[in-house]
Amino acid sequence: MQISSLLAIAPFLPASASPGSALGELVGIVEYAIAVAVIIIVFDYVFGWLERKVVAKIQKRHGPTYAGKYGILQNMADILKLLSKQHMAPANSDKPLFLATLPIMLAVTLFLVLLIPFSPTLSGSSSGFVLLVVLVLVSFMPLMIFVNGFASGNKFSAISAERSVVMLLSYEIPLVLVVATAAALAGGYSLNGIVGAQSQLWYVLLMPIGFVIFFIAMLAELERPPFDMREADSELIAGWLTDVSPPYYVLALFLDYSRMLLGSMLIAILFFGGWEGPVLPPIVWLLIKVFAIAFFIMIVRATMVRMRIDRLLRFGWLILLPLAFVNLIVTYVLLIG
Amino acid sequence: MKTERNELLNGLEGLYSKGYTYLVKIYAVDYVKTLEAVYVVRNMEEAKEERLEVELDPSDAWVPSAMRVYKAADWYEREMQEMFAITIKGRQAERLLLEKWNGSGAPLRKNFAWSEPYEKMK
Amino acid sequence: MSTRINIGPVHPSTHGVLRLVADIEGDTVLRVEPHIGFLHRGVEKLVENRMYMQSPAYMEKLDYAAPMSYDELYVAVVEKAMGVEVKERAQWVRVVLLELQRIASHLLWLGTAANDLGQFFTLFMWCMKDRDMILRLLESASGARMFYVNMRMGGLVQDLPPGFGGGARDVLDYLERRVKKYEAYLEKNPVFMERTKGVGVLGKEDAINLGVTGPVLRASGVGYDTRKDNAYYVYGKLSFRPQTRSEGDVFARYRVRMMEIAESIRLVRDALDRMPDGDAIGMPVRLITTGAKNREASASRETPRGEGIMYMVADPQRPYRLAIRSPTFVNLAALTHIAKDCRLADVFAILGSLDIVMGDADK
Repeated sequence: MQISSLLAIAPFLPASASPGSALGELVGIVEYAIAVAVIIIVFDYVFGWLERKVVAKIQKRHGPTYAGKYGILQNMADILKLLSKQHMAPANSDKPLFLATLPIMLAVTLFLVLLIPFSPTLSGSSSGFVLLVVLVLVSFMPLMIFVNGFASGNKFSAISAERSVVMLLSYEIPLVLVVATAAALAGGYSLNGIVGAQSQLWYVLLMPIGFVIFFIAMLAELERPPFDMREADSELIAGWLTDVSPPYYVLALFLDYSRMLLGSMLIAILFFGGWEGPVLPPIVWLLIKVFAIAFFIMIVRATMVRMRIDRLLRFGWLILLPLAFVNLIVTYVLLIG
Repeated sequence: MKTERNELLNGLEGLYSKGYTYLVKIYAVDYVKTLEAVYVVRNMEEAKEERLEVELDPSDAWVPSAMRVYKAADWYEREMQEMFAITIKGRQAERLLLEKWNGSGAPLRKNFAWSEPYEKMK
Repeated sequence: MSTRINIGPVHPSTHGVLRLVADIEGDTVLRVEPHIGFLHRGVEKLVENRMYMQSPAYMEKLDYAAPMSYDELYVAVVEKAMGVEVKERAQWVRVVLLELQRIASHLLWLGTAANDLGQFFTLFMWCMKDRDMILRLLESASGARMFYVNMRMGGLVQDLPPGFGGGARDVLDYLERRVKKYEAYLEKNPVFMERTKGVGVLGKEDAINLGVTGPVLRASGVGYDTRKDNAYYVYGKLSFRPQTRSEGDVFARYRVRMMEIAESIRLVRDALDRMPDGDAIGMPVRLITTGAKNREASASRETPRGEGIMYMVADPQRPYRLAIRSPTFVNLAALTHIAKDCRLADVFAILGSLDIVMGDADK
């Protein structure tokens, strides 16, 4: 029996794996997964530190300074502290569901990062429909938050769960429309193809409205201010994470930054030419762009006031959706049709 | 102005119609032989204040609720009820406002029993 | 069908130990009821057992965001009871210190209110840093950073140090620029405007009937300010103007406080310019203990949170009864009426706009 037929990710076999034996394929998958895992962990860690430093600078503080050079070990200390605390689930929670959702979300996010290519050679999937898979799984996240919020049996989490669905309703359709426009421009849902099509001109210049919509929707997707109504610390304490125990909170942090990586990569690939760039190797270019976008998201986080959930719904349907249609039509008329 | 507690609401309403629409404070003083409830109202336009003082018998201390005239009386009355055991008639009974204890007595009355450690301190 | 949720007493945006019980239906809040008293220390009873001069330190802990104003309020009511005149220079110095304290308190409010609106601590940190400059000034004037106990009957414990005026002017110049920046930063932000405009509207009639006070009252279009209408010290000479807005919403309360900061900066500069020389030291302690002349006294002051009033029935040595009318207490009582049928997120915007300090409400 072929191993590839047993694996659910069969269509997304790494392009770099040797196509010969089944064992070779498996080894290729594992090698690639380890490489990407290292990238993710390093990024998450550096990003967590960078966010603290950048936000501190904006707020005229120093941020972490004590643990390690420039406080680089502070997050490690925090993680160790959180991991050393007691793990528990609230008594009136739906325990299996409550405990399962966070790991599932993390797994899905990591799987998504695996699918997205870091460079033409370092690519988790050669399929032509990666972007569709990514979109479907990205919109899976708010639903998992919904499940987690209700399973935790906390009223604040329940409100957060409701908000999660309202948010999904408000930004998902404009997001899909913009992605569809980008795919139409590139002539396919393959991320490699989209990057290749931007070798002359970045899509951010071809469809600036589309970029703005996508960026706003991504902020909402990533629970970044001003769209952090799910976590809304001044209203809902911590939203769906209110009753999460400290060791699980490490997972939540990991998830948060992994989603950040995912979102930044999507923005970089869809609008900023992905890994295209002179002199430096492709993966470096991609990471530079990812960090630049993440940096911008941090600045937005430090400066914006939280939006109200009903206003977001109105904003999504009355402003983002029409603009997304305008973007679609203008792009079709001017560039495709 | 001194007034009777039966005349209190009429007095307040009269003041209200004269432009004293702002209730500044309701407080009580324990003179041991009598209790005195004081209502301070203000005319915002002319910046003038009036005081209505009601003398009460400590063993039968009640006043009618002024919430009919001033909504602001709500918490002041509850505070007074709690601190001086002056019953407020004509409004629903509410939970304690300021205190989270199970003791008895009116803390701001002069005969309030101090707790043990303080007695020892003296 | 409504859900009842319990917010606090341990919650990020209840400013200490306030507990709110809210009935919500979906995202709409049907009724909010504040439960207070978690910080009740029985100050009114405490001072009955202490000599006059022992109590200012207790009073300062009532409003820990603006301790100087309560310090001064208590000293003022004792002065009334003892029939003591405040020395000429001390009056000017008190005005300077109180207005500086008001700026500090409003800056703190701005930061925490932005936090309640979901700002990630940025404005809070900026405001804390700016407030710290004023705290340093007050420290140089009194010797303490937070709880000053700088007022004494008839004057002050110590006069302003040499060079205070120059330092204060520098700080005020800096603050004026900063506050303008904050205003631009917030008012150019459409999300901030959306979150504050038309939210938590309190009409003029309701505001008076509910007895709200201070910036909340003035934001509802009532131009009552104790500094003007019941002028104390030298506010009459400083041509003080009460700052009012007519909308009565969260934005109006924000604007009123920002305008008050500007007005306070103007007042302090003016007072520093016109301050006469002379003696500002208050009575020696042994004279304070010799007795009060008037049986009843009351003093009313515009603290940063609103009008604070103390009614005192005086014994010769100590207060027989001290009734404190604390501004947060009345403003918080109005929360139920203001936050009716609003969104859940608005409750915190409104709560933030009331500028509550739980020590003040709980006494």
